[in-house]
Amino acid sequence: MAVNYNAKEEADGHPSGVGAPGGAGKSRKPDNTAFKQQRLPAWQPILTAGTVLPAFFIIGLIFIPIGIGIFVTSNNIREYEIDYTGTDSSSPCNKCLNVSWNSTPPCTCTINFTLNQPFETNVFMYYGLSNFYQNHRRYVKSRDDSQLNGDNSSLLHPSKECEPYSTSENKPIAPCGAIANSMFNDTLELFRIDNETRIPITLNKKGIAWWTDKNVKFRNPSGNTNNLTALFQGTTKPVNWPKPVYMLDSEADNNGFINEDFIVWMRTAALPTFRKLYRLIERKNNLQPTLQAGKYSLDITYNYPVHSFDGRKRMILSTISWMGGKNPFLGIAYITVGSICFFLGVVLLVIHHKYGNRNTSADIPN
Amino acid sequence: MQFPHLYEPGQQNLYFNKIEFVKCVLHGIYSSLILFFIPYGAMYDTVRSDGKAIADYQSFALMAQTCLLIVVSVQIGLDTAYWTAVNQFFIWGSLSVYFAIIFTMYSDGMYLIFTASFPFIGTARNTLSQPNVWLVIFLSIILCVLPVVGGRFLKSQLMPTISDKVLRKIRAAKKQPPPPLPKIRLRRTSTRRSGYAFSHQHGFGALIMSGRNMRPKLPFTTTGMFSPNSEKNKHK
Repeated sequence: MAVNYNAKEEADGHPSGVGAPGGAGKSRKPDNTAFKQQRLPAWQPILTAGTVLPAFFIIGLIFIPIGIGIFVTSNNIREYEIDYTGTDSSSPCNKCLNVSWNSTPPCTCTINFTLNQPFETNVFMYYGLSNFYQNHRRYVKSRDDSQLNGDNSSLLHPSKECEPYSTSENKPIAPCGAIANSMFNDTLELFRIDNETRIPITLNKKGIAWWTDKNVKFRNPSGNTNNLTALFQGTTKPVNWPKPVYMLDSEADNNGFINEDFIVWMRTAALPTFRKLYRLIERKNNLQPTLQAGKYSLDITYNYPVHSFDGRKRMILSTISWMGGKNPFLGIAYITVGSICFFLGVVLLVIHHKYGNRNTSADIPN
Repeated sequence: MQFPHLYEPGQQNLYFNKIEFVKCVLHGIYSSLILFFIPYGAMYDTVRSDGKAIADYQSFALMAQTCLLIVVSVQIGLDTAYWTAVNQFFIWGSLSVYFAIIFTMYSDGMYLIFTASFPFIGTARNTLSQPNVWLVIFLSIILCVLPVVGGRFLKSQLMPTISDKVLRKIRAAKKQPPPPLPKIRLRRTSTRRSGYAFSHQHGFGALIMSGRNMRPKLPFTTTGMFSPNSEKNKHK
């Protein structure tokens, strides 16, 4: 009886034909492959001084220049901020502090300010709110994405998440929900003061929302006509809006749900202090700065009441870099972590030299 | 059985007791604080490189989640002390599957089909293309992993356990050529190839596989009474 000299069975000490009582089945030993016998080639990183110490030094040496670069970039960004809530009695907007959402005529105020340095590249105008919790869970859920995507059945039957802002006067609200209802509706205009004349500065209202939001996520309801008023038939405006959604702008590609100010507002902020892009000030030519140094005046139509919850409103003019707006945190964090790493590397090197090789094989009992 | 004292940590419950658990909890708390506050600080009142929003709820959530997953993968990689091809495949694979899944979930197609379920559309594209975000992720990884590496290294220098000393001895011995094997006697012994008992810890794979912790014996298969080459089986 020949034993099956299979290469796989090489390690098998009990060939099946020999000595097995009563015709046993095949062996239950696993195959002698590298995978099953756990002989796969492997890499074993073990923390020795030769790997850990250089790692600390290299990370320290990489982080510090990166941190300095980020910090310098952030410092070169020009930013100017005006808080126009009006809580201070000397502020021009103090008279508008207790305005309600439907005051007629709307309260206006003007704040004059001076820019000491010119703003060279494209300038972005933001409005900022503080103590406004757009990240409250019930608030964040209070919207109907299908309705905002132009679904005609959701237009007339908003989802339950929008309650209690889903119907008003027995008609469905478009757009429904608390987020849409609380849309920011102040108007800000900028003028340059040049020898007593006010020169208006062109503010561009297109291109402030994400491309995916404007072109995919938000769509107007579809129909046969181009008349938005007809497409929104049967719905009513949100409770706290002065005008219905199809009258947000005269231009057709910025009206209805695809109005960019509306889209920017609907992208809820993560933190209670946030800024949202309001307008763009584009650079006209390369010779002149976008905003020269000098006197400016900001005209505000103050519609949005924030005083009741101790909120604050501000207008921010800012330039932009490859890392976004002005934020020194990341630069400082990198520099700090790099320095700590380097320092720890030195400390570990000292410890390794003094104590590391003391405990050698002499101690190991055999 | 060259180093019988390697069994002691297992018997004395040195690696899984209440103090280790407390250390684990503290490490978890520290990592959670890092994974929230570093993105928080970097996103506070910030915008993208084209001026549009990045400090919104969806981008912040995506950034924190990506930081977390990459930190966890790196930590697992650190703890996997024996990197075979299988380990590499699963760890790198899980990271790539994560990115594949978020790009799929946040794509236009999924949103248009299941509008209510995938409201995060566009977030992955718009957020992960910002260098700011990757700098934050890199910083979180270093802040979470380096203390662990440094702590383990420090412990192995100042208070080496028996296994650390053994490993050091093995590595020092590897650098010298191995002594010649003693002369093998023809003996019939059992095929027990165990010795895997003290595998509470990592790092002993090579030792076990090298066979130096087993008594020198004849390979049972190619010679001896019951092998195919023996007299008994040759004529069949």
